[in-house]
Amino acid sequence: MSLPSHRPLLRPGTLVIYALLGFFGLLTLMPFFWMICASLKTPADFFSSQFLPPGDGLFGVGWDRLSLAQYVRLFRELPVPRAMLNSIFLASVGSVFATLFCAAGGYALAKFKFPGRELITTLILGTVVLPAALLLSPKFETLFHLHLVDHYLGIFLPAAAPAFGLYLFRQSMVNSVPADIIESARIDGCGEVRIFFTIVLPLIRPMISAYLVIVFIALWNDFITPQIVLQSPELQPLPLVIFELKGLYGAEYSMIMAGTLVSIAPVMFLFLLLQREFISGLTSGAVKG
Amino acid sequence: MKASRLHSPWTPWLFLAPFLLSFAVFFAWPAVRSLMLAFEQTYGPKTTAFVGLTNLRFLAHDPFLWTAVGNTVVFALAAVLLQIPAALGLALLLNRSDLRGRRFFRLVFFSPSIVGLAFVAIMFSFMLEKRTGLVNGSLHQLFPAWNPDFPWLERYVMPSLVLAQLWISAGFYMVYLLAALQNVPGELLDAANIDGAGPWQRFWHVTLPEIRPVLNIILLLVVTGSFQLFDLPYLLYNDTSGSGPDNHALTVVTYLFQTGFRSGDLGYASAIGWMLTLVLVGFALVQRRLAQRNET
Amino acid sequence: MRALLKLFSPGLWLVLLMAVASTVLVALLPVRPSRGMQMWVFDANHFKIATTIAAGWNREHPDTPVEVKQVTGAAIQTRMLSAFYSGTPVADLIEVERSMIGQVFAGPVADIGFVDLTERLDREGLRSQINEPSFSPWTSRGHVFGLPHDVHPVMLAYRADLVEAAGIDMSKIETWDDYFRVLRPLMVDLDGDGRPDRYLLNSSPNTLFYHEVLLLQSGGRLFDESNHPTLNQPRNAHIIAQLATWYTGPNQVAAEAPVGGISSLQLIRQGYVIGMLAPDWFAGFIRLSFPDMAGKFKFRPLPAWEKGGRRTSVLGGTMLGITKASRNQEAAWAFAKRLYLSADSAKLLYEVDGIVTPIKANWHLPFFDRPDPFFCNLPMGRMFLQLAPDVPVRPSSPYYVLTQQLLSSVVIRLCQYADEHHTWTAAGLEPEAQRLLDEAQAKVEAQINRNTFLRDAR
Repeated sequence: MSLPSHRPLLRPGTLVIYALLGFFGLLTLMPFFWMICASLKTPADFFSSQFLPPGDGLFGVGWDRLSLAQYVRLFRELPVPRAMLNSIFLASVGSVFATLFCAAGGYALAKFKFPGRELITTLILGTVVLPAALLLSPKFETLFHLHLVDHYLGIFLPAAAPAFGLYLFRQSMVNSVPADIIESARIDGCGEVRIFFTIVLPLIRPMISAYLVIVFIALWNDFITPQIVLQSPELQPLPLVIFELKGLYGAEYSMIMAGTLVSIAPVMFLFLLLQREFISGLTSGAVKG
Repeated sequence: MKASRLHSPWTPWLFLAPFLLSFAVFFAWPAVRSLMLAFEQTYGPKTTAFVGLTNLRFLAHDPFLWTAVGNTVVFALAAVLLQIPAALGLALLLNRSDLRGRRFFRLVFFSPSIVGLAFVAIMFSFMLEKRTGLVNGSLHQLFPAWNPDFPWLERYVMPSLVLAQLWISAGFYMVYLLAALQNVPGELLDAANIDGAGPWQRFWHVTLPEIRPVLNIILLLVVTGSFQLFDLPYLLYNDTSGSGPDNHALTVVTYLFQTGFRSGDLGYASAIGWMLTLVLVGFALVQRRLAQRNET
Repeated sequence: MRALLKLFSPGLWLVLLMAVASTVLVALLPVRPSRGMQMWVFDANHFKIATTIAAGWNREHPDTPVEVKQVTGAAIQTRMLSAFYSGTPVADLIEVERSMIGQVFAGPVADIGFVDLTERLDREGLRSQINEPSFSPWTSRGHVFGLPHDVHPVMLAYRADLVEAAGIDMSKIETWDDYFRVLRPLMVDLDGDGRPDRYLLNSSPNTLFYHEVLLLQSGGRLFDESNHPTLNQPRNAHIIAQLATWYTGPNQVAAEAPVGGISSLQLIRQGYVIGMLAPDWFAGFIRLSFPDMAGKFKFRPLPAWEKGGRRTSVLGGTMLGITKASRNQEAAWAFAKRLYLSADSAKLLYEVDGIVTPIKANWHLPFFDRPDPFFCNLPMGRMFLQLAPDVPVRPSSPYYVLTQQLLSSVVIRLCQYADEHHTWTAAGLEPEAQRLLDEAQAKVEAQINRNTFLRDAR
């Protein structure tokens, strides 16, 4: 990090860079702006303006013509509250499961020596290359035989054992959990489970947060698995429900856009809250390892 | 690390058990089963018939599959040629010590990759619409010669998909590259500067070799990701189950999905899956070989 | 406590909190066990009719009430197929559109998830009361799996306001050639960008339906009576070559405001398309989508391909099926008959949806003759019914949708060929049309021959 006093004043080159960054940043955010504007417009104003309807308010915008009616409608009349609950449930419980399973598994592989360890490690890590699509059909067949189709467990259990997660936790256990701490805890008479939860897990805190968010976002956004597994409308999460709303009310732009924004907002919030861990977690595998 | 005699031999298995169990049931067994399924034809999981090599033979002559492979390869090429340079460009712009608001911009560029593909599909179906969409509307306003009825989704299927994917992914890979750029030792760059190297030479001879491992990983991610393209075309062209006009949106995984879950033939779908797996594993091996050769 | 909180980051605690809270909520809000029977429909107008009829039914049959739900076609298809493949929960009664039924018929007859109605229909003498061709899309290997909803004759809907404002007289129009010649002056550039802002027919190479509508009208077809594909018959090539000249080149007269497409309503309102291939349900769609545009649309029989040729076609189709999973099959059958066969439902179907019933016994009902003020006092029902005897037969092949998509591919490629070779005459395009159709035919046949389950049946 350079100190502020070393920072030169704005040079022409820097200005160009800011201009470029501003331009691309605007381009990146434009779809969001557009959606927000669209979700607030009434059907009458929808086609009359690209962003906000013109009027005689501040900045020449007809602020009084905007309304939150579509958001109210989503939660009052349409099955969005239940879908929101389902999404939160699937993503939060699913990510806790996956994090626990992977952390425990990674701990076993990194900090214990036992017959078969190498074989298991190689086998599991080898499956990282299998594309998810290959397992789609037989996984569905397996869920069918286990009577887990149209059941939340049909989402949680398969999502709880990603080889990639095991790999990440094994790496971070190797790097940041010293063996002697565990040994001395054992000598003090600590139980194995207690060691894991009170000593090991806190040592890999950043990894846990990062992985939790990664899985949370992935589960929140997943479309295909719930579409195959969950058939009852009461169980379905937001991506399915919003997409269905688009099919049913295709011409009601404002409402669909409001629904989309409402579905994006929670993960955006979580991401902003945990962005530092999230990004370092994402890149840790690639950049350091 | 020495084996500790303080814990029971069962302890590691206790920790491994939850993962291993669900892994065995939902990954290992399905992987084995998919190999068996490749020799069967099914109508849903209930009704199956053993067909021997029929699926594999049909694979070789299935015009839809080869259309799908063609589309997928084009998409992957476009993705490599656009996403990686775009990501690198953004990362280079942000990688300046005198830049204020770097974290803000990083957040801005990264934000699209948080958005679920179902929602991206909804957004882009509105944005790429004829006349009323954001893209044609804005372009027509900026350049009056632009056709407001420009048929993005109807005719320019691949460009539309590539555009949407670029919006999603550029910032995502940028984050990796930015992290790699910040790991490039400053002394190396300073030394090159003293030796009279210009910015271009410094990038080419110092920065690039340093970030090459990360670039290799990104290349692998982009290619394997592109080959598994599914949600976006499937949802954008939902009325044709993802085929799109004249099958221009049909990808390998879309075809696999249509076969397995629309036609109910999990067998042929598995055969397609194995073909895809072999291609991806082959690519990974070749790429690793090349990367190793470059490093030595 | 504080030490415990500090153990992990706030975001992590937030996720844990969400996990606990949502688990409690999900546990407290059990999935409502549905009382009585469930019915899924995919269309807003069908939904209105079904709920109206169901309300009466539920008063009379409190022990087997029907709950009607509107679900999108795509979701119905996914859930229905998933249920038939693997036994996930499914409604007792499902309204199925023609484009969704194919996969249901792709396996062994015994595996079809709908109740076989053949025997009931014969036993109760219903077969002879219903327009026979209306059964064809729902019949697989000789068994009927659904009660037909419609006849769906096609007419030409057009913007009477724009045509009349231009002083154009349509009374002499007999053929498509006449139609395009007479209306040509309407294709004007309103905003001065060098491109016409009005087209004469609502269709484009990308459409999945309209090519087939026009093919069937002209005597071409995609499948024969035994559901064998006939994509490459010469008549098809002849017509397709003609269509390509409508869609592209200097004489382009057609463009599409796709029905159900997002911007279509706006485009139709603006008069982007003057004429539309319009089955009876399209009248209902117009009334529902443009309530303020009364008096602006008129219907007339399609212009023929040749003088004296057929003046109608067919587009779409729906059936009502009873699932084998239903625990109330008898009650479901009784409700299905109430919903589809009764005179008052025929009236509702016509008034809400514009659809004429396939029940021949109801065709004499007087409301079909009533002038419709929304459509310039035309007796819409009677006009459609007069065309009913000429409506072509619809196939039920599991490969119907695939063939439709391939037909669309052929037209798209033919238009590209026309543009690349500057060949914009039907005669010049016909050989290429034939070649492309042969190619497509081979693709369909390969898929059909691959299916062991159908082969066993044959």
